[in-house]
Amino acid sequence: MTADRTDAAIAKAVAALPYRRPRADFKARVMAAIAAEAEAATWREKALRAVGLTVGTWSAAVACGAAAFVYYNFADIAITVIRPGGVSGALNMLAARCALMLAKLISVVSFVIELAGLAMPASYEIVAASLICAAAITALSRGRLAGQSI
Amino acid sequence: MMMGETETEAIKRCLAGDNDAFAGVVETYQDRIYSFALRLLKDEAAAEDAAQETFVKAFRALSSYNTALPLSSWLFRIAHNSCMDALRVSGRTVSMDHEDFPDLPDRGPAVADSVADALDSERIEALLSSLPPLYSEALLLQYREEMGPAEIARVTGTPEGTVKARLFRAREMLKAKLSDATVQGAEAYYRRGAI
Repeated sequence: MTADRTDAAIAKAVAALPYRRPRADFKARVMAAIAAEAEAATWREKALRAVGLTVGTWSAAVACGAAAFVYYNFADIAITVIRPGGVSGALNMLAARCALMLAKLISVVSFVIELAGLAMPASYEIVAASLICAAAITALSRGRLAGQSI
Repeated sequence: MMMGETETEAIKRCLAGDNDAFAGVVETYQDRIYSFALRLLKDEAAAEDAAQETFVKAFRALSSYNTALPLSSWLFRIAHNSCMDALRVSGRTVSMDHEDFPDLPDRGPAVADSVADALDSERIEALLSSLPPLYSEALLLQYREEMGPAEIARVTGTPEGTVKARLFRAREMLKAKLSDATVQGAEAYYRRGAI
């Protein structure tokens, strides 16, 4: 037999191979896997949106708080900026106050957790500390410090 | 796919968020993809897993599908990757080592007319399953799926020259196996004559 004729016989035999069918529920299983995949993607999207919204809200809140602080204390801030060494002094004072406040907050939160007997993960402590910190800064920014008043 | 709906339209509907439109694509291609996987993996459960993975991966990557190319090529490319992964996981070789390049005579072996003409589905199925997966794959894609070397190259991610070499060698290996059958048949004939 010539090689061409054998090649043709092979080609014909392979081309005539029947397609096999998978089990009857194959399509249903594929579609279920796809639905699960789509649902997971939707949840991922929702989670990302929630994170984005939270970050955006917090950024806006911090920006508003900072703007309000500057607005209500503009005169004091201006004097501090104009005075030689005023800015660095104010920053040092602010840093010291923040550190002190953070230490106090952490100790208060630890005390509350111990008191409640809850084993809260560290992430909750940071969130709680951030919330209390933001509230304290907003409250302080509304009132004027005695040394800064004109 | 709905009646009269093209694959491109079905894919557009999928991309628009209609997941059920993909059921038509699965329905159209499930037998072809499953058969392809079964002939490479030689195991029904593994073939179903690979076929399922192919469709799920295809759905996930639908947005990257280039509608200018045939959907079948794209699906077979994903199926090829799934099958190669399954072969690797099961410890079967898919590399181009010496095992995949057996020594072949320069001239094709002689095959008796009767043996070649009697090549039925069952026989060719057995012969294909005795070939290394990369070779049976090349033959299946060319003859069963009617793809040219360029399209097979796209599916397998190999150069066209490699595809042509695989096709040639696959045919030669089949001929060698058929030639063995010819020799064995002749021996049996002479043995019967001697008696």
